[in-house]
Amino acid sequence: MGSYLYRLYRGFQGEILAVPGRVIALIFVTLLFLLPHIIPHPLVLKIFSLAALFAIFAASWDFLSGFTGQLNLGHALFFGVSAYSAALLNVHLGVPPWATIPIGAIAGVIAGLLVGIPALRLRGFYLALVTLAFPIILIGVIFVFPDITGGELGLFGVDRLSGSRVLDYYIILLVATASILVMWKLTDGRSKIVRTGVILHAIREDEITARASGINTVRYKLMVFSISGFFAGVAGGLYAHYIRIAGPSILELFFSFQPIIWTIFGGIVTIYGAVAGVFILYPLVELVRLHPVGEIYRIVLMVLILIVVLLFMPQGITRWVRDHIEEICPRCKLINIRTRRYCRACRAPLRAEK
Amino acid sequence: MAAPFLEVENLCKHFGELRAVDGASFHVGQDEMVGLIGPNGAGKTTLMRLITGILKPTSGTVRFKGEDITGQDTAKIVNKGIAPTFQVVKPFRHLPVGANVMVSCLCPRAKRRGDWVKTVELRARDALEFCGIADLALEPASVVSHGDLKRLEVARAIATEPELLLLDEPFGGLSPAETELMGKFLRRLHRGGRFGRLHSEGPAMVIVEHKLSDLMKIVDRVIVLSFGQIIVEGTPDEVVRNKEVIEAYIGKEVSSLVS
Repeated sequence: MGSYLYRLYRGFQGEILAVPGRVIALIFVTLLFLLPHIIPHPLVLKIFSLAALFAIFAASWDFLSGFTGQLNLGHALFFGVSAYSAALLNVHLGVPPWATIPIGAIAGVIAGLLVGIPALRLRGFYLALVTLAFPIILIGVIFVFPDITGGELGLFGVDRLSGSRVLDYYIILLVATASILVMWKLTDGRSKIVRTGVILHAIREDEITARASGINTVRYKLMVFSISGFFAGVAGGLYAHYIRIAGPSILELFFSFQPIIWTIFGGIVTIYGAVAGVFILYPLVELVRLHPVGEIYRIVLMVLILIVVLLFMPQGITRWVRDHIEEICPRCKLINIRTRRYCRACRAPLRAEK
Repeated sequence: MAAPFLEVENLCKHFGELRAVDGASFHVGQDEMVGLIGPNGAGKTTLMRLITGILKPTSGTVRFKGEDITGQDTAKIVNKGIAPTFQVVKPFRHLPVGANVMVSCLCPRAKRRGDWVKTVELRARDALEFCGIADLALEPASVVSHGDLKRLEVARAIATEPELLLLDEPFGGLSPAETELMGKFLRRLHRGGRFGRLHSEGPAMVIVEHKLSDLMKIVDRVIVLSFGQIIVEGTPDEVVRNKEVIEAYIGKEVSSLVS
């Protein structure tokens, strides 16, 4: 028993404590879980609940468009389909939230497959244009049936997730942590557990070579679309129950571009980059909004921050930070903290001696 | 008689007016190493691409072990046991060399029940070791030299455990020493055996190549293609002496001058 615990501790030490980026992530997640005890202000809780929810959304965009290279400009579709199906079921049929959110996520999967099938024939900009059209079509459909869908005003009076704000926050945070961990593991090319990461990278890099290696790219692309739809759907269902309204604004163009902005800000093709982007930009913009002047200029501010960050850190903020605190061993490719001079595993010098 | 291993019948591919492959018919036996030669633009690469389904033929059939595979999806054909390599190396540049080969090891054909990441990694490593680039396994493919990428291409192909290997200019851009090494290693692969965890039945091979002297040393039979049509088929010795072949390569007047 003791030896197992010791081995577990050594594993933890080697995999997390020795890698500064992961230590930061661990501290950050711990702080998030302690947040209701540190700052019990309802507004702060609300902002961070929504940020956690949007983190799933942005990560699912990165999963689809960043990793697999299927540029999707209509990601709000998955979010909106799920939010609306959760709200419709809840308002009209009285289905409780614990059932509507999974059903919403499945609706997201179906939407993902619907977008995925034309995506098999299209690539790059053409695919982007097609995906852009889908949420706009859905808005049209919603406006056609105002009695059922609430039309322009949206569906009101959706049930709360739970009784209290703190519990809501914990539910969202737990779901977000689990979803993001799953997506991160699925896309991790160095993962020791699942092998999809390598295949997704391969499909993005060169589809013909991937096919010539015997990989059924069609199946993987559809899989990616449905997984991305699933997680965006989870976020959408949670959103409908948290905000207690499902309106057409969540299908608008701006809502589709938000995950792209967050992901590029944080660093594309890294799930954690999308998450970091959300947790930096979203609270910042929301706090600025409290001030009457900020309310007007919040989008301008967001874009300005984005431009400045991308000018100096073109790879995104997480990559920039990572390059400044971590060093990859030239011999064994293990991640080391930058202060080390020799690799922690193979003792190779990390930098040329001066 | 059992159905031939690979049978290509009347295969045509027309790009508008251009007849890239015009009624090519040939067959490859299960234990053969066939060279496919011809002047530039003769349609060799197109022919290879037609067999692997990267391009869809205009007409004609391709049969593999008696089964019609004409115009099927590339991934499906690869999983039936035909592995192509490309003339222009196309690695996954951002992935490490080892992971490049791992992708092939993950295809349904090469995957074993109960395989997990470690065994796949080791099998990829064996393929790399066999091709002599195991030391580069952790380097990203973007920093690796051209010669090593050529070998990576072969490693990626053999990791799918093929029965027929279609090699498109495996010697292209290699130095003479590297070429000799590669030739020897292809011959060894053809004999078959067990290379670490990688098992090879000794795949049949079709090799497209321009370095004729090196090619002739290793192949059993040569097919000559000119303007999309097969003009000569025979052992290397026969082909080298054939008038038509010399004409196709050098041109009529020059060859008459020589003789």
